[in-house]
Amino acid sequence: MSFLLRCPHCGDRSVYEFRFGGEVKQRPAPDAPEAAWVDYTYTKANVAGVQKEWWYHRSGCRQWMIAARNTITNEVLETLFPER
Amino acid sequence: MSVDERSETIRFEFCGKPVEARAGDTVASALYRSGQRIFTRSFKYHRPRGLLCLSGKCPNCLMNVDGVPNVRACITPARAGMRVRHQNAYPSLENDWLAIAQRFDWLMPVGWYYKTMTYPSAWHAAEPYIRKIAGLGEPPPAGSEGGEYEHNYRHAEAAIIGGGPAGLQTAVELGSRGEQVMLIDDQPALGGHLRYSRNSGVAAAELIADLIGKVQKLSNVEVLQGCYCFGLYEGNLLGIVEPNPHPNAAERLIHLRTRRVVIATGAYEAPLLFRNNDLVGIMLSTAAQRLIRLHGVAHRVPDAGLLSQAGARLEWDGGKGAFVSVDLPSHVAAVGDVTGASFIAASRLPPEQVMASKRAFVCLCTDVSSKDLQDAIAEGFDHIETLKRYTTATMGPCQGRMCQLSAISVCAHETQRSMGATGTTTSRPPNPSVTLGALAGARHHPTRRTPMHYEHDALGAVWMDMGEWKRPRFYKTQTNSEEKACVEEEYRAVRERVGLIDVSTLGKLDFKGRDCGKLLDKVYAGRLSDLRPDRVRYAVLCDEAGIMLDDGTVSRLADDQYFITTTTGNLEFVEQWLEWWLVGTGWDVHITNMTGGVAAVNLAGPKARDVLAKLTSCGLDTKAFPYMACRRAEVAGVQALLMRIGFVGETGWEIHFPAEAGAYLWRTLLDAGREFDIRPFAVEAQRLLRLEKKHVIVGVDTDALTNPFEAGMGWVSKLDKEDFIGRAALRRLSGEELKQILAGFIMNEEALPEDGAAILVNGRLAGRVTSARYSPVNRKAVGLAWVPAELARPGAEIDVRVGGRLARAHITQQAFYDPEGARLRM
Repeated sequence: MSFLLRCPHCGDRSVYEFRFGGEVKQRPAPDAPEAAWVDYTYTKANVAGVQKEWWYHRSGCRQWMIAARNTITNEVLETLFPER
Repeated sequence: MSVDERSETIRFEFCGKPVEARAGDTVASALYRSGQRIFTRSFKYHRPRGLLCLSGKCPNCLMNVDGVPNVRACITPARAGMRVRHQNAYPSLENDWLAIAQRFDWLMPVGWYYKTMTYPSAWHAAEPYIRKIAGLGEPPPAGSEGGEYEHNYRHAEAAIIGGGPAGLQTAVELGSRGEQVMLIDDQPALGGHLRYSRNSGVAAAELIADLIGKVQKLSNVEVLQGCYCFGLYEGNLLGIVEPNPHPNAAERLIHLRTRRVVIATGAYEAPLLFRNNDLVGIMLSTAAQRLIRLHGVAHRVPDAGLLSQAGARLEWDGGKGAFVSVDLPSHVAAVGDVTGASFIAASRLPPEQVMASKRAFVCLCTDVSSKDLQDAIAEGFDHIETLKRYTTATMGPCQGRMCQLSAISVCAHETQRSMGATGTTTSRPPNPSVTLGALAGARHHPTRRTPMHYEHDALGAVWMDMGEWKRPRFYKTQTNSEEKACVEEEYRAVRERVGLIDVSTLGKLDFKGRDCGKLLDKVYAGRLSDLRPDRVRYAVLCDEAGIMLDDGTVSRLADDQYFITTTTGNLEFVEQWLEWWLVGTGWDVHITNMTGGVAAVNLAGPKARDVLAKLTSCGLDTKAFPYMACRRAEVAGVQALLMRIGFVGETGWEIHFPAEAGAYLWRTLLDAGREFDIRPFAVEAQRLLRLEKKHVIVGVDTDALTNPFEAGMGWVSKLDKEDFIGRAALRRLSGEELKQILAGFIMNEEALPEDGAAILVNGRLAGRVTSARYSPVNRKAVGLAWVPAELARPGAEIDVRVGGRLARAHITQQAFYDPEGARLRM
């Protein structure tokens, strides 16, 4: 694994500067049924293709960002800071 | 650069004897001139092997150079004073006792391990002997003084692999366009095959000299001479090894990131299959030319390893008699002989009797003959990839460069398929092999020291590692250096008088902003928004599955400011976890990691108040400064944050203050405490003190599956909060029956279990000890252990394995010391 991620602050950086934070998921509402919480907590889509995921620029600006990455080719199509 | 006969000679050592070398010599060429003909003994049968390729592609000249095993002697420049040793032969290359193995080849059929070692007992019996005999070379002995290894990160617009005519031509073209170019060549000098091939002649020499001249004039073309590229990784990252970059480094690993890669690795000659094709003296025609022209065309194979690593497909071209690369990715180009453009097919398959010979070697690295391949195919391993794994052909140091074509042709012939249908094995980096030293890089372990580090040193600290931190484990005294006695003295000081411990390694986070309470309520299991300023609360962090991640104290300094501590090892995680839950909320929260800038000590014991009162004007009596309160005050003139908390179970203050005052305040506190016989105490005593209070250490007494209810800490989560991380899981868990519980136990007899000891109930494994120490108060060992829920009642008896036998213990509900916590509130 040696692809580059484009940090919106710091530019193209080696993936080793980042920490992977998992798939981007929608957290259920507090009163959502138990099945929704179990699904959110334990199930992963594990997409073979483009997936939105969290990355943390640990050796750089120390910000969380979202990247769209093709899990087959490791091509990173887009990176962005989520809306504030 | 070829050998200059007029140049002065240098000397190096080969197996203790001096060998002369001239400028331009490699280790192998100098040895060959000195009369050496056997260069190595083969892997399995210990057959003598001599120079074959002379270009760093085959395994026949692997030697130990200055302690480094498996060095390719034929591409390693000879240097004065180097120590070269043979390997895989004893006592000498010419007379190797293990050559007897050749007579027993019938005992070692293909798949020998799988066929013989079918019972674990057979393998365990044979393993020590096999390990001694098998393998190539010996690693340097532990602790030996080797050279340093370093890493280097470079960038270029284009990288060209291979310094032959095609690579040079490309370098000139790209360089003239102004591109930043790196040219990587693994030979001692530029020129590729035109340096030695017989028919190249004067015109070729002029062509090469012209190209080299042009390259040297282009300041934007950098040549990495004598460096080899072992891998092309995604994102166009090239792994390149530069041997001996300077006198203090053995190797340098260059991480080269580039926009484009041009592969000009050329072609090489692969050996033919015939009986005894591995005998000393049989060498490739190109090797002979190299020997003649540099130091003193048959089956050519494109050197396409990097191309297939880049994702190119290899396709059989019958007309060329070679596998050629097709479907190259857009960022990778191939030029010159590596494309196979100039190839003409030669007849390939050897005759039947050779095919069935145990002495016609396909794989020189691991001694696999054509007969072995035939047998393996007959046994059903008829796919080229399974054939490779079963026989180990193409898996040795040459990584298939010498043997892949032969292996494919035998496989194709035996299975009556075409070469194309048989296909190739997969090429993966590293190829050629790389030393572990080069991959590991410099021997550098970052160490974190607290501001009081050298104070501890002077006090006789015995150190322990806690992640990157150094922490005192206990202090030796002038009269005692034995751990148990020292720890007990430190323990008694805290229980009876006063002790001081450095807790600067705690993670420390400062929270500022209007919405800090909101964030903390959302992420921590407890409620923190209603914490009054000047108060402290214990808090636990859970994940969405309700598993305990960390714990610590939360102090509210002002309406819009909190100060949080985390456990030493979890700081980075907790900081990132909190930041993550903050993303996208729009809340006004600013988290600052204060860990390195803030020192912290815990002053604890019945006399702690007397010591502290000498140094601060802050009111310290319980009314003015109650348990679980915090104040900002000056201590000995240093601005500090005082928290009245009690991890060790005595009246005490955790004092946080600027790191630059660390050593000063530490010394001042010890001085002020001298009249009360104060003692510094360290991690071991602290662990005993907290264990007597049954204070859980997250990550020691809990693991990656522990929820607060099992840990007996259900009270930390406020399920009536409308939402927080882990609430859904914790609500569900709160209604479930517990399977196991973290309970306290006291041994019934004199026995001290180790941390992790097994717990048995009625002879069956039922749980484990997480922490156990000898408790001076109880005069028995006490501890925390995971036990089945039905046993977690006071008085229940369990058996604990202590030193191979079982010792009886009983469960307790309360803390082992001061269960009401009266001493904390004094």
